[in-house]
Amino acid sequence: MNQRSLLAAVTIVVLLLLRAAPATAEPYLAVMTGYKCNVCHVNPTGGGLRNDFGMTYAKVLLPAETVDNALDSWNGKVTDRLRVGGDLRTDWSRVTAPNSPSTQAFSLDQFRVYADLVILPDRLGIYVDEQIAPGGSQNEEAYVRYGSTTDGFYVKGGQFYLPFGWRLQDQTAFVRQVTGINMTTPDKGVEVGWEHSAWSAEFDLTNGAANAMTGSGYQATTQVVYTKPIWRVGIAGSSTSSSAGDRRMGGLFAGLKTGPIAWLAEGDVVHDDSLERTLVAGLLEADWRVLKGHNLKLTAEYEDPDRAVRNNQETRYSFVYEYTPLPFLQLRAGYRHYFGIPQNNQQNQQQTFFELHGYF
Amino acid sequence: MNLQLLTALARGGVVLGLVLLAACAGNGEGLDANGNPIGSGGSMSTPLSADFESIQENIFTPICSVCHAGGSAPEGLRLDAANSYGLLVGVPSTEVPSIMRVKPGDPVNSYIIQKLQGHAAVGAQMPDGCPTTQPCLTATQIGFIQQWITNGAPPAATATAAAAQSAPLAVTSIVPDSMESVSAPPPQVMVAFNHELDVSQLSTHSAHFEKLAPGAAPLVMDQVPARISVSSANLRALMIWPAATLSAGHYRLVIDATSSNQISDIAGEQVALGAPDERGEAVISTFDVEVLP
Repeated sequence: MNQRSLLAAVTIVVLLLLRAAPATAEPYLAVMTGYKCNVCHVNPTGGGLRNDFGMTYAKVLLPAETVDNALDSWNGKVTDRLRVGGDLRTDWSRVTAPNSPSTQAFSLDQFRVYADLVILPDRLGIYVDEQIAPGGSQNEEAYVRYGSTTDGFYVKGGQFYLPFGWRLQDQTAFVRQVTGINMTTPDKGVEVGWEHSAWSAEFDLTNGAANAMTGSGYQATTQVVYTKPIWRVGIAGSSTSSSAGDRRMGGLFAGLKTGPIAWLAEGDVVHDDSLERTLVAGLLEADWRVLKGHNLKLTAEYEDPDRAVRNNQETRYSFVYEYTPLPFLQLRAGYRHYFGIPQNNQQNQQQTFFELHGYF
Repeated sequence: MNLQLLTALARGGVVLGLVLLAACAGNGEGLDANGNPIGSGGSMSTPLSADFESIQENIFTPICSVCHAGGSAPEGLRLDAANSYGLLVGVPSTEVPSIMRVKPGDPVNSYIIQKLQGHAAVGAQMPDGCPTTQPCLTATQIGFIQQWITNGAPPAATATAAAAQSAPLAVTSIVPDSMESVSAPPPQVMVAFNHELDVSQLSTHSAHFEKLAPGAAPLVMDQVPARISVSSANLRALMIWPAATLSAGHYRLVIDATSSNQISDIAGEQVALGAPDERGEAVISTFDVEVLP
C-alpha cells in the first residue's frame, strides 16, 4: 500500500469512527460535507487549529492535487500532547469609490499561529490563537477547555470567539459586522457546550464588548444547530446588559447541499438601546465546487442600518474564485461591489483582490 | 419528517435569496451623507479641519462608527457623535492602559494616532482591514486629528477658539513628526498652529529648510527654499513644499529672520517658539531624511 492509499484509508477510518461530520475552514465546506465543526477543528465551534481529520482533509480532499512528500506525515503534532498550526494571508487589493481617489496596495492581511496543549486526553486542554501580524501581536483566543468536544458537555474559560451564525472567513460580511460577532472580536468569559449526534449547542456568559471599560454588565449568547448530511439549521440569540445601553440580537441560519453547490443563508435582527436603532442583515451564499480544488463563491448581502429610517439600505454582491492547487496553499481572486445611498461614496465602493493563503 | 423540514428549508432559502437578490440599496432621499435624516442634527457638511465636530462628521461617524458604535463597539469604544469625545479624551486605552486614547497636547503619545498609523503595540492598524477592504486614513486626515490633539483636544470649535486665544501662538510639526526619521524625502511638510493664522500677512516664501552637519553645534550645510500656504478649510494648518527634493540628512524647518512678513495670528501675535536658533530664526521642526539606496 503506497502513502496515498494509506492516507485515503485513514481518512475513511476516521470518518467511520466519527460517524458524523466535521467542519469548517470555511463553513461552506461543512455544508458540502455534512460535517459538524468539531470534526475538522480543535475548537468545537469551528475555525482555527485543525485536528487530525482536519489536517487529512486539508491534505487529501481539499486540494486539486495531492503531493507525495514529507507533508504526508505532517499532522500539526509537535508531540503527542502539543499541536500547532497557522494561517497566513497576503494580498493585493484595489478599492475604488465614487468621487474618491482609488487606492491599491500589497498587504499582509493576517498571520496567525495556533497551539493546543492536551493535558488530559479528551478531558482537559489549553488552546491559544495569536495574531502575529500585521501590527502588534494580539491574542485572539486563549482558553482552558474541560470535557468532551466530540460527544457530551464541555466548558471553556478564558477568551474566545462567540458562537453566533456562520463563522465566515470574510469578517466584513454584513451579518458579521451588524452583529459585531466575528473573528476579530473575541470576548472573555465562560462557555458551556454540548455535542451529541446531530445536535450542537452552546451557552456563553461573557463581559460584552460594551463593558470592556465599565464592567457594568454581561453578554449572554446561545446557539443551537441541528446538522444532517445535506442540510442544517441553526438559531442564535444574544443579550448584552450595559450601562451604555442594552443590546439584543437574534439570528437564523441554514445550509443546504444541492449537487455540487453548497447554499448558506443567514438573517439577523439587532436592537441596540444605545443607538436607539433596530438593524437587520442578511446573507445568501452559493459555493459551487467546480472541480476538486476549485470553488466559485457568490454572495448577496443586505443591511438595513436603521429600520426607522427609510431609503438607507445597503447591499453587497461578491464574486470570489478559490483555487487550492496543493495541500496548504490557496489562491483567491475576488470582486465585491457595494451599493448604498448615493451621497455616501464609501457605501458605493468596489473592491478587487488577489490573495495568497498559506496554512498548516 | 426530514423531507418536510428539507422542503421548508429549501423554500425559506429560496425566499431569502429572492429577497436579497431583489433588494435594492436605499436611494438616500431625505438623508445626509452619513445616512441620517436631514434635520436630525447630524448633518453639518463641513470640510475636514482640525476641530472636533469636523473630525467627528468626516472621520469618526462615517468610517469609525460603522463598527465602533452601540453595545458591540470593540473595546467599548463608541465613536458615534454622542459618545466619542467622552470615550476618547483623557481615557486610558483598553489594549495598552498606560497610554491614553487621546492625550491632549501630545499626539505622539495618543493611542488613537498609533492605531491609525499602524504602529501600536497591540493589534492591527485601524480602520480595521485597511488597506485590503477599505482605504487607510490618509496622512492629511490623520494630520488633522493630530492637530486637534496638539490644540489640546477641545470638545467644540467655539471652546477651541476661546481657549486657544488665551494661549501664546505655538506650532507643532505634524508630518513628519518633530524628530522623526522618514525613509523618503517628504514632498511636503505639515505643521499645526494653535491659533488661526492671519493669511493676509503671510508671505509664500517666508520659510526654508536647512540641512545640518552632524555634531552638537548646528552647522548649516545647505539651504533649500520653500513655498508655504494655508488651507482655506483650516487656517491653523500650514503646508510647506521644498523647492527641491531633500537629499538624505538632518533637517530643520526655519522661519526666515529677514522676512518682512512674519507668521502671526489674526490677533497680530507673532509665533513664539522658545529658544531661537543661532541667528535668531524660529525653528519650527527638525527631522531626518534617510534615503534608502
